[in-house]
Formats: sequence, structure tokens, C-alpha cells
Amino acid sequence: AKRFSNRTLKGESFSTKRKQGSLEAEIGVRSMEANERVNEKYTNKKCGAGEQVQRASSAPVTLKTTTSLSSSLLFPPLQQNPSPSSPAVALTPLPSLPLCGCSNEFLIVAGGRVLTWGRGTSGQLGHGDMVNSLNPKPVDALQSFVITHGSAGWNHSGFVSDTGCLFTCGDGSFGQLGHGDYSSRCSPVNVLYFSSRHVEQIVCGMRHSLALLKGNVEDHVYGFGSGKRGQLGTSRDRIQSISLPQITLGLEDNKIASISANGIIVQHYLVRPKDFYQFDINSLPLYASALLISDGHLYIWGRGFGSTTDVYCPHRASVSLTFTQAALGWNHALLLTGDGTVFMLGGNHHGGLSNPQKTILVKHTAEQSNEALVGRIPNLDGIKVLQVAAGAEHSALVTGKNGVIMTWGWGEHGQLGLGNSDDQTSPQ
Amino acid sequence: MSYDDVEIEDMEWNNELQAFTYPCPCGDLFQITKDELKLGEEIARCPSCSLYITVIYNMEEISGESDHKSKKSIEPSKQQPVAVA
Repeated sequence: AKRFSNRTLKGESFSTKRKQGSLEAEIGVRSMEANERVNEKYTNKKCGAGEQVQRASSAPVTLKTTTSLSSSLLFPPLQQNPSPSSPAVALTPLPSLPLCGCSNEFLIVAGGRVLTWGRGTSGQLGHGDMVNSLNPKPVDALQSFVITHGSAGWNHSGFVSDTGCLFTCGDGSFGQLGHGDYSSRCSPVNVLYFSSRHVEQIVCGMRHSLALLKGNVEDHVYGFGSGKRGQLGTSRDRIQSISLPQITLGLEDNKIASISANGIIVQHYLVRPKDFYQFDINSLPLYASALLISDGHLYIWGRGFGSTTDVYCPHRASVSLTFTQAALGWNHALLLTGDGTVFMLGGNHHGGLSNPQKTILVKHTAEQSNEALVGRIPNLDGIKVLQVAAGAEHSALVTGKNGVIMTWGWGEHGQLGLGNSDDQTSPQ
Repeated sequence: MSYDDVEIEDMEWNNELQAFTYPCPCGDLFQITKDELKLGEEIARCPSCSLYITVIYNMEEISGESDHKSKKSIEPSKQQPVAVA
């Protein structure tokens, strides 16, 4: 629901009154209708569903507050047994299940089932067609699998089963589906390259994908799709695109417990209780940057943030800070340390740090002598941050102060949730 | 201020819109038509927000752009059976 708020909604005002049982559903309906108008303008296709989204339920509205969620997503009330009158969005409250979304489609994994809806003109919803869907619909092609992870890119999607199989569908014109060709698919197809391996997680960017594989001794990351800015990390040189997975260099001898993905706007990630490893992929169109946090260390490859040049395979940043979480936007990254401090990389477009407070804290040693500028976020003195999240051009965090959420950055589409469309340069 | 500089070869031709497009962070698409490019226009706007990008191209690239991007296959394959793990 949050994602659709970034679409054209000029002249419309969100109702912020809490009607019992209908707050998120109402926003969802309004946003989806607006989204559908935009889609119709472009595609001249009627959305396959066409019917109104039902009110979620008449139960009291509760906002989910577990740490496994992006702070900018709203969720319908948890239901174990959805009644016949409510739509088929039932969230099983298992803390280990990730919930992911993207700019134009949402994947919700509920008990191993996958539901998708939103923009689907590239076949990324996996329903066997190329139309949008207003309502969540199960991905029937995956019904015999228990899906544990999913990721939504700009025009493609990836799904991982508990048995380590990877399925992809949607636009494949950049090789981002990993099937060895440049064709698109409108139903999830198994990535045979990994048939004898165990894929743990998939992240889908704008025109590329990264897969995390678990091994007995070490873990690996494979990239495929567009690699013009080094976002695949698979070669020391510039590459155009690859359609079969290639291993990301420089990450050998690492144990990677989990990877996280910033879809286009909305981030999802998996946090395991004991682990602090994380890997983020930025889905900038072609210009992706990937941060990997392994053992608390920061690895960077792809498009350089701010003024730094591109790096084509992971380089470890020499920095005295230990990071536990990262979130990537299209031009910035947020880094969270173990003691609850937030730093920001880049961010010159919107919500950048005000210059007087910008401090250079990281010297990124690489062959190209990059220097990543990391600045401390202002207005957070004494506030402990529990979680960070990033949209394309805005940021959000959850504080330890009664779970208060703060946002900053680009506000034109109301994505900061502050009741207006102003930009903010520091957390509000 | 331009949001980004994008080379024309990185943009995607959209037949319905009859324009070169590029993803906008708001979720919509930056768009510029062939006619605009031929006139020397280099700003691709987003219909949903205030952002715009600067398109990098040579005039020669534009004149011969009739079947641009046709090499990229965009037809979906028939529904393929999913292999059992």
C-alpha cells in the first residue's frame, strides 16, 4: 500500500482518520486506483482483476511492529483464518518470514505461499500473463513449493524455495532472469544454473539480480543481468550484461548469513537473531551499488556514491565502525552500527546531510582509491536507532524511543508520511 | 536541477508511449519522444512528479532509430513447467 502512494496522486488527499478496520485498506484502494489510472494511460489494458479491493476486515487496525519490516510499509491486520469476505492476504506471524515489496508489485510470503499484485506488464507477477493485478493473487506455478524468500525488482521477480531452488520471471531483456537468454517469462521458471546448489536468497534490482548461495565452508554471491556500473561485482572490468549467473569476486572465505534487498522503493530484509551479516543491493537503474556487511565489515561495489567512481568487484572499506544493517536508496545508503548510530553515504539529491555537519569518516581503499563519504545523521543525538530503511530518495528509521519512526529526504509524493509533500534534510 | 544524466542507449523504447523511457524513482517513467530528440531536446520528464533527467545522445543516433531495441526479445515464453526440486 505504501508503495502506491508514490504514484500520481495530485489533488488527492489521504484520509488520515482511522476508521475501524479500514485504514490500510482504504489507502490501498485509493492508491491502487490511482496506480491503475496511470497504468491505463500507458498500457491501454484493463487490469485483469478490475474489482474493488475489499476492506481487509472489521477487526481493529493494528500496525505491525516487528523489526523484519520496512518502516514505510503498512500491513493489514494479522489473520490466521481469513473469513470468506476478506481478500486472500493472510499474514502468518512468523518472525522469520520476510515480507517484501517493490515499486509496482508486492510479494507476500505467507506460510510458503506467494501472493503478488500490482504492476505486471512484464510478467513479473508470475501469473502467466502480462497484465496488472489490483488484487493479490497466488502464484499457482509455485504452489507445490514452500517459498522462503522473494524479491521484486523493477520489472522482474525472484523466488527461493526452502529446498534452495531459485525461480525468476518478468522482464529478461538484460539477462536478469539468469536463464542464459534475454527472453522474458510470465511464470516463474527454475534457474537451472543453480540446480545442484542451494540458493538462500535472491535480490532483484532494476535490471539485475544477485543470489546468495550457502555452502558448507563458505557462501557465495552470484550476479546476473545488467552490469554496466559494476553492480554484479563479477568482473574487474566493465561488463554490459550477463544472462547466466557468475560469481561475485572478492567475497571468498566469507560466511554470509543473509542478504537484503532494496527493491525499488521499499526495502525488505531478513534479520536472524544471532547474525549481523547483511548484504544490500541498490536497484538504481543500471547504476546499482551493493553493500555487503560481513562480520560487520562494509563491502562496496557498483556505482560509487556521490563523487566516487564505480567499482566492479567488492572492495572492503577500511573503517573502524562495525555495521549491523544497511539500507540503500538510489543515491544514498544508510548504515547502522551496533550501538544504534546511523551514518549516511551519498544522498546529495534529497535529504542529504547539511554540509556543516558532514564528516568524512570512511576512507575506502581500493585500486581506484575511492573515498566514500560517510556522514553522521543530524538531529539524532542521544537517540538510539533500531532499524533503518530507504526508499529511492528518502529514508526512514525506527528509534528506541517508544518505537518512534522518523523520516527524511524526498517528500513530493507524501512518502515521508508527515502530512505534506515537503522535502526534509534531517529526520523528522 | 537534472536528476541524472542518462545515455540514450540505456533508455528503453516504449511502443505505447512512442517514447524513450527510463525508470523514475517515483515509480513512473521519464519520457522523451523521437521528435523531441530530433529537435535537440535533451530533457526527459516524468509525468508524475517534478523530476527530470538529461539525455545524452548524438544526433546521428537519433536519425536511424526506427527499429531501436528490436534485438531485445520481449515476447513472453509460453508458460513453462516448473522443474521439481
